[in-house]
Amino acid sequence: MFKLQKRNYIWIAGLLFFSIAVFLFVQKNSFLYQDTIVKIVDVTNVLSNTEEGPNGEEELYYNQEITAVVQNGERKGERITLANSFSKSGVNDERYRKGDYVFVALGSSNGTIIGKKRDGYLAVLLAIFLSLLLYFNGVHGVMICVSLLINITLFIVALLQYEKGVPLIRISMILMIAFSILTLLFAGGMHKKTLVAILSTLLTTLLCYGIYEIVLHTNERLPYEMMDYIVNPKDLSDIFLAGILMGSLGAVCDVCISIAAGVAEIVEKKPDIKRKALIQSVREMGYDIMGTMINVLFFTYISGAIPIVVIKIKNGYTLFHMIHFQLVFELIRFLMGAIGIVLAIPVAGFCSVVLLHKDGWHRRREDKV
Amino acid sequence: MILTLLIILFFLMVVVGGNRGVDSFFSLAKTMVAMLVNIYLIAWGLPAIPVTLLVSVFFVATVLYAQNGVNAKMHAAAIAVLIVVIIVMLGAGPLLYRAGISGYNEIEQYEEISMYLSGNIRVSMAAVSISAVVLGLLGAVMDTAVAITTAVNEVYVNNQSLTKAELVQSGLHVGKDILGTTVNTLFFAGLGESIMLAILFMRNAETIASIINSKSLLQEVAGLLIGGIGCLAIIPLSSVLVAGFVVKKK
Repeated sequence: MFKLQKRNYIWIAGLLFFSIAVFLFVQKNSFLYQDTIVKIVDVTNVLSNTEEGPNGEEELYYNQEITAVVQNGERKGERITLANSFSKSGVNDERYRKGDYVFVALGSSNGTIIGKKRDGYLAVLLAIFLSLLLYFNGVHGVMICVSLLINITLFIVALLQYEKGVPLIRISMILMIAFSILTLLFAGGMHKKTLVAILSTLLTTLLCYGIYEIVLHTNERLPYEMMDYIVNPKDLSDIFLAGILMGSLGAVCDVCISIAAGVAEIVEKKPDIKRKALIQSVREMGYDIMGTMINVLFFTYISGAIPIVVIKIKNGYTLFHMIHFQLVFELIRFLMGAIGIVLAIPVAGFCSVVLLHKDGWHRRREDKV
Repeated sequence: MILTLLIILFFLMVVVGGNRGVDSFFSLAKTMVAMLVNIYLIAWGLPAIPVTLLVSVFFVATVLYAQNGVNAKMHAAAIAVLIVVIIVMLGAGPLLYRAGISGYNEIEQYEEISMYLSGNIRVSMAAVSISAVVLGLLGAVMDTAVAITTAVNEVYVNNQSLTKAELVQSGLHVGKDILGTTVNTLFFAGLGESIMLAILFMRNAETIASIINSKSLLQEVAGLLIGGIGCLAIIPLSSVLVAGFVVKKK
């Protein structure tokens, strides 16, 4: 079905080979590590006991006797034994299997498990993603990678500044502006529509911020202490806010560039189009974007909370509790993102029509008459 | 606060989208309920992965068919989405299973929450995590699939003399344009979620070695990467399927 079948097969084979090579290399890169790594060569699982759970289910617990071979350091090649226990559900423990690479603290002929070696899995996912991206998008794919890389660097630099004591609000403002400009420049190129998209992204974000602050101060206090990974209890509300705005930025940028590009295209093909017709086209584009984009955010945000929600349901928490104390952050993130998406449509529409249509601000009254 | 934001969202969707905004809002409400049902079914002890597969079929039906009508291009999109879901379950599932991304990570293990919640729940957390990854990519994958099949259909309607191969090419071309923005959407959503974790890594002065081997990082990143891979994989898949479907219709 593809036009260049042979070339495609070679590419796909190459990509597969590349991914496997990356995986193997990263799995076997123990010599790069200071910490001791062992490879598990043999495991025996013995049922040790059962415990009753909060709903009366029986949870099975197993002991593992593990034989492993040291992979690096002075004692490379030595066989040691490790002990571990795991439960069938695996909520609070880890099951090890033959072939796993594990970090350990070495004893005389045994050791204590510190944790699994996961870099190989991370690398192989990254390798598959990047190689597919380059395969399908070529040069454009490289540009996407570069923009992601710059954004991640900016993010890390910003957090280092935060650790030095710069207020988070100031950092996130600068970050948001930098992110929007960079991302949209890479997506839209040097073009007037990019300028329009940047402007409307920032305006939309500002509006979202306003809405969030108003709603936050007219409602009950959020249970910030229930958030994941609490580090700096003083700054929780600011960190959450920064997360909300940053999280919706990608979606807002997406909507803004789509609308700005659409309007630019129409104006170019039909320079004498009436303002009203242009606004109608913006509305049409808006309908198409709105529903699906909101779905993207919904699934992305909510899915992360599923494991902990399942654990809590099993522990007898009610739906009410869950929505108010557990899912509340995911839901607010999602709802603010959705509000951002919907708001971005009129904002981007307005900016595009004013800045890209030949009439601009003027003759607005004539148009209406 | 959630209720207030929901009302604001509804209001905005009505103002901006009119009747179709109302439709989208109620379709979103359906999606939310289905997601809850899915979570409760898993918690009741039904096997997580088959349940998720069934609920995915429901999501595909409500989101794709309800919002865009029952027609050849949506059939193509739906089949493509389900194929990607199954590929992810079969391909990424074992990988995540081996990598051990389920259960509490290094940080959560020492948080209060893991102390007072019982772990004796008789639900395989590994399967739950894989389900969560699949559900996480569903939105982005459906979005990409619809965009491609709609565009290819449009191309064909305007020029019926095009061959299947040419239609596939135009599908791939459209995919190129969408992909960058979809990747950005996923990327920033992930970045926004992981601010706390990133600060924590810095505060604890974790070494790069311990970060890239940590469960917490893989839990955050694996879903996004697999989501990105899913969006990439669905581009050729939906292009080929829609080309086959619309041309055969004639």
